[in-house]
Amino acid sequence: MRAALALFLLLPGLALAGPATVVRQTEMRREPAFDSVALARLAQGAKVEAMERRGGWTRVKSEAGEEGWVRMLLLRHEGGGAAKQGESGVVAAINVARTGTSGRQVTTGVRGLDAEQLANAKPNAAELKKLQGYAASRDAAARFAGAGELQAQSVAYPKEGE
Amino acid sequence: MSARRIAALLAVLALAAAAPAQAQFRLDLNRLVDTAKNIGKATGEIAEKEEIEIGSDMAARLLGAAPLAADEALQRYVNQVGRWLASQTERPDLPWKFGVLEAPQLNAFATPGGNIFVTRGLVAQMNNEAELAGVLAHEIVHVLKKHHLKAIQKTAQVELANTAVTTFARQDRNTPAREKLLAAGSELYSRGLDKSDELEADRLGVVIAARGGYDAYGLPAVLQTLQAMNPEDSGLALMFKTHPAPAERLEALEKMQPTLDAYAAQKQLAARFAGTARR
Ligand SMILES: [Zn+2]
Repeated sequence: MRAALALFLLLPGLALAGPATVVRQTEMRREPAFDSVALARLAQGAKVEAMERRGGWTRVKSEAGEEGWVRMLLLRHEGGGAAKQGESGVVAAINVARTGTSGRQVTTGVRGLDAEQLANAKPNAAELKKLQGYAASRDAAARFAGAGELQAQSVAYPKEGE
Repeated sequence: MSARRIAALLAVLALAAAAPAQAQFRLDLNRLVDTAKNIGKATGEIAEKEEIEIGSDMAARLLGAAPLAADEALQRYVNQVGRWLASQTERPDLPWKFGVLEAPQLNAFATPGGNIFVTRGLVAQMNNEAELAGVLAHEIVHVLKKHHLKAIQKTAQVELANTAVTTFARQDRNTPAREKLLAAGSELYSRGLDKSDELEADRLGVVIAARGGYDAYGLPAVLQTLQAMNPEDSGLALMFKTHPAPAERLEALEKMQPTLDAYAAQKQLAARFAGTARR
């Protein structure tokens, strides 16, 4: 179980795979685009198998066995592996994954970040200093964006009350 | 009770505490007193310098609960993604700092003045840089809109004043009043912001990620990953307690569909993400 979860966490692209439900009636299309042919109409509550996401679309297989694309925001997933079995072991799985891939020692005794720890936390000045040391300048960030071919766009915020 | 009266009471409390208390405590308390004083000002606005100082104190406290992950490459990577996004906003020159916390729980935090944190647990669930950008952009909005700062102001007005008043009425200086003052900021992270603040951070976060050239569906993708998990899982408990359910956040994001779709084909940078965050 743990090994399976660790593997799941290490494989990008699988997070959205698995059984899902359609929250509203919608069309299943041949291609991930509104102007593509509608292959079938899926009723509200229809069960599908999600396979991959492209932009705002997710490729699914219907219960009737048809494959096509539906709006990503209309799908609610039922747990693609790391879920719905009581304590799903996310915390444990991450520790397994970390030791498994990096070989680094997992710090023992770190319980993580829960409400109780936050309430009782004392300031850690040394870590704050480290945080400041890792900061990036605007110029450095712009070069980093350029290396990834990220292009800044002019996009307006939605109007208030929208 | 007037804001001036509150500020005066807090100042008295600060003096009473000053002599024996730790330096850190005085520092925090004085800042909270300053905050309370500012509530009494006509504008009600906290100056940027104070905003940054309060935010640093709160960041130090979060780091006291969970330290930074000991992975310099990952920390620098997250700072570059974050600073690039912050550069696309109306507050590009705040002292923005980003950190990955060594915690298996799934969560992200912002403190006033530009300190943003994401847990190792949440990073481990992401598939690409666009998803990281979506989460960081959500947190950046909390800073831009001063969501936490405003909530602290409210707390300072109501809870702190009430505590100070009852404490002094009973002449009892050993009540947890001081601890309450100190915990005011931290408490916010166990209690959560208003739902409307969270949904606003989602909407504007999508815009900021799109401005940075990222696939705008990064944040919705992370929300869908969270939605697929067991809400009873201990790794999700705090995030689910302090945020609207992922399904509700996804539904609210349907309003942003035009922006999401217009910028859905932008970069995801899965390989660059995997190279640094999944080693
Ligand atoms: Zn938030």
